[in-house]
Amino acid sequence: MVLVVALLGPFLFSDFFTHTLLTQVFWYGIAAASLIFLFGYGGMVSLAQVSLYGIAGFVVGNAVTTGAAKGQHFGLDPWLGVVLAIVITTLIGLVLGALASRSFGIYFLMLTLTFAVLTNYFFGQVTVFGGFSGVSGIQLHTPGVIGNPNIHPNRLYYVALGTSVAVYLLIRYVVRTPFGVALQGIRDDPVRMSSLGYNVTLHRTLAFAFGAFISSLAGILFVWWNDHVDPASMDLSAVIDLLVIAVIGGLSRLEGAWLGAFVFVILNNYLRSVPGLGHVGISPERFHTAIGIVFLVIVLVSPSGLMGIWERLRNRVAGAGGSIGSAPPGEGPREPDSQPAAG
Amino acid sequence: MTETAADEQAVAGVAPALRLRGVGRRFGGLHAVRSVDLEVAPGERRAILGPNGAGKTTLFNVIAGDLSASSGSVELFGQDVTHMPSRHRARLGLARTYQQSRLLLGLSVEDSIYLSILGVAGGHLRPVILKRRDRAIRQRAREAARRVAIEHKLAELVGSLSHGEHRQVAVAMALASEPKILMLDEPASGLSRGERLLVTELLLGLDRAITLILIEHDMDVALRVAERVTMMHDGNVIVEGTPDEIRANELVHELYLGRQHYADE
Amino acid sequence: MKNVRKRHRLWLSAGGLALGAVVAAVFAATAVGRPSATPLKIAIMSDCQGAFAANYEQDIGGAITAFAQYAGVKPKNPNKPSAGWTGGSIGGHPLKLVGIGCSNDRADTAIKETKRLMEQLGADIMVGPLSGDESVAIANYAKAHPSKTFVNGTAGAWDTTAVVKAPNFFRFNGDGIQWNAGIGDLAVRKLHWKKAAIIMDDYSFGYASGAGMVADFCAAGGTITKRVFPPLNTTDYSSFVRQLPPPSQVDGYFSAVGGSGTPPMLKAFEQAYGKLKASQWIGNLFFFSSGADKVIGPELDGAYVGGFGSSPDLKGKNVTKYKKILDKWYKKYPPLAGKASDHAADGFTYNYYNNAWALVKALKVVKGNISDGGKKLQAALGKTSLPDAAYGAIRLDKNRQAIQPQYSYRMDVKTPGALAIKTVQYIPPVDQTFGGAIHSPPGRTYPPCAHKKLPWTGKEKPVVNGVIK
Repeated sequence: MVLVVALLGPFLFSDFFTHTLLTQVFWYGIAAASLIFLFGYGGMVSLAQVSLYGIAGFVVGNAVTTGAAKGQHFGLDPWLGVVLAIVITTLIGLVLGALASRSFGIYFLMLTLTFAVLTNYFFGQVTVFGGFSGVSGIQLHTPGVIGNPNIHPNRLYYVALGTSVAVYLLIRYVVRTPFGVALQGIRDDPVRMSSLGYNVTLHRTLAFAFGAFISSLAGILFVWWNDHVDPASMDLSAVIDLLVIAVIGGLSRLEGAWLGAFVFVILNNYLRSVPGLGHVGISPERFHTAIGIVFLVIVLVSPSGLMGIWERLRNRVAGAGGSIGSAPPGEGPREPDSQPAAG
Repeated sequence: MTETAADEQAVAGVAPALRLRGVGRRFGGLHAVRSVDLEVAPGERRAILGPNGAGKTTLFNVIAGDLSASSGSVELFGQDVTHMPSRHRARLGLARTYQQSRLLLGLSVEDSIYLSILGVAGGHLRPVILKRRDRAIRQRAREAARRVAIEHKLAELVGSLSHGEHRQVAVAMALASEPKILMLDEPASGLSRGERLLVTELLLGLDRAITLILIEHDMDVALRVAERVTMMHDGNVIVEGTPDEIRANELVHELYLGRQHYADE
Repeated sequence: MKNVRKRHRLWLSAGGLALGAVVAAVFAATAVGRPSATPLKIAIMSDCQGAFAANYEQDIGGAITAFAQYAGVKPKNPNKPSAGWTGGSIGGHPLKLVGIGCSNDRADTAIKETKRLMEQLGADIMVGPLSGDESVAIANYAKAHPSKTFVNGTAGAWDTTAVVKAPNFFRFNGDGIQWNAGIGDLAVRKLHWKKAAIIMDDYSFGYASGAGMVADFCAAGGTITKRVFPPLNTTDYSSFVRQLPPPSQVDGYFSAVGGSGTPPMLKAFEQAYGKLKASQWIGNLFFFSSGADKVIGPELDGAYVGGFGSSPDLKGKNVTKYKKILDKWYKKYPPLAGKASDHAADGFTYNYYNNAWALVKALKVVKGNISDGGKKLQAALGKTSLPDAAYGAIRLDKNRQAIQPQYSYRMDVKTPGALAIKTVQYIPPVDQTFGGAIHSPPGRTYPPCAHKKLPWTGKEKPVVNGVIK
């Protein structure tokens, strides 16, 4: 049903809601899905996903723009730009994964955070790729079937929707393959998996590269939607935004990625037009505070996010027939609160 | 005595399943294992006994490769594996369980056993489902579950099972990979009398081709299953012999059996 | 059975999502619903976060003052411009302030805010943005939305009008290059510099500021021997100032480093090469804005500084009138101290005011009718000029970019209570090509040092005590 509503989106909702908000929900959801995949199935809290999609965005921007645009403006074929963005981002993910995959828990998080900060500075200060000002005018150089999203916003909308569905199905599939099941084993106990014969480091590296691949898709959609990418697109507040999205949605379930993105985007846009908020100190420039409060409430009420709340409600309705704590194989990762300290 | 047996094997061209030479393991100033020589023949059932802190589990970890040896060498089937990572030793046919059964709590019973088989079979990184191949592995996984009588919980998350069931899963995982050497760390601890009988039966019924090394506190289980017993104390091997010899040994009584029986009462 | 349950679960969660979507959609629909009258929906875009957050109220104040003075709107709160306005109409079309954008000097945020203002709140016309990178992104946005009309706030990036050339983006203020006209000539004539080095931020505004200095200096006969580019937001400048030639090898240094970078950069220079000398330094507007003047110290008292398209101590009929207008509508621009007219010459107030003023003029020409998708309004804006602008007449070139006179200043940090700067010269109207010297986006090495006279070289007029001689 959500798919039906989404498919009919352009006919049901206002242009702004569809093209600006929902399209944003889709690419944000994809980025959050890469984070949830790594955490939920791989036990890796990665703060690098935003940087990775930012890198993909910069690759596209530098590859496809022409003329006096900032950065390299190679003027390549838009499809080539897409391929380059995916390949380069995935390769960077592979290298970062190789470096970080020996670390667990907080150390892994710190390594990816360091990467996030480094990439932000790198793109801010290395001017050959656009520098602090970033790259603009990308919407003029999208593949022909998508066209300029300002003129044909529905096409980008459906491409983003289709990519979201594909990413969702792909992740669901991958976690049931030998690679995916083993990854979940590594999440639970890497030492044990090693003694079962698995190369834990290689496995985590490849999983991280897969996450980078998913992120690169989000990055490509992002620059098509935004027309522009600059270091602020991948600064620390963007990193935190994505983390908030994933946690709001629920780190334990893949659907949570898009649910979290939806809630975040809607709050972000409408919260400050709610009358009266200004009187309680939430003026426009403080709407981040409001999102922080919502975030806090959700996390306190349900550590597994909105998906967790939803599941509990449904189980209550379903009564004894519910299946608390007995997900079938491959059904999804456990709730994070029962996560043993890895390493 | 042991040397003689080893010589005989060497003459016959059969390398011991496991040979330790002067193996030691230090944690800072603490010598958990001092200098252990040990040989286990293929197909042998060996129990390692000793009071808490004797270094049994550390020795297991060194053999499995979870810990590296501070000194000495480890050989599996005549091959020096001292510097080989644990995942490669697993591929040589070494499987083990853990005292605090280290299980994959977020996975189902079936997936856990599936991973145990896959770990040795290879194809870990395969990102596609191959229907026939995966079905075959799952078939083996279910078969292993049946052997430890846990087949009715295949779809349950391991994390939601009881302590006894965890033991069953651990043994199933170890068995399913069809190991040449099976190392069990206290397979019967914390089990009820009935469950202990079940485990004993299971161990007695094991394929004779599998070399079995057992750490066990429960003397009934250990002495019934084992053909030879190695007694450890304070990081050293102090006695080695048949179960009868061990039962008769004064030192063992003083160090271990007496205390154990006392504790049981 | 497993699959059935899973599918069931999927559908249920789908239902939840859909419900949320519908609720939000209703929300969205009410937000964009149009009333029956045809008001002119106007948005103002400024920065409430980031480096220019302190100028937020001032920007809005400048813009609303123009609407108040020329289109009859009433500020809601004379102490807080962001409270908005009531009333006002042009040609019978009520003027409605639909929203105020809250960006943070980053293009990424500016686009999101622009989309919110133009698409969600349905604005037809926007006044803004504040900073250079934002304006490039918004000009690109404008190009893709030809039925919306944009007049700049105070952004000074060269590319905005010279490269993007959106037919519906108008800028009634100079850019970072134009502002520095005349300063190089000053260095040659007054300080007798022949060789100089320049240190500039490694991003668009640094390049633009530096480009004006380089082009002007070289046109007057000077030579730039070294260009150094510290990254934006550098905190330790020691390695960069060491790339500058020592004072024995050059006559002086141009600085186009940002407001927060200027004090540490100068400090690093002092450590490397000894005491600062006012006769060896020329800065851009960041020498005196953003409070840098209070940190720089007395060593640089008397140093020349590039302009901002305005003159704080200029006297004259238009200036007096402009200041009176500012004080008429607003008492202050919090958090800035002093009354509104104390900030009259700040580019923030002045440029927002002028851009909004030109917009009102053009709206009056078309009698507030934008039912043709703003075509007539945009045509009218292209022809609009501000001959009575306080600090000199403003007209547009073919790229819809202002041509306006410029000023150069001198630091005055010793006189207590005085303004930080004194105007020293007036430069006749400067266009965006900088008298033909600039054809491409300014960059690390562009423009080259060309010894070709600019139209104003030698024609600057001295300003003494606020009077153009």
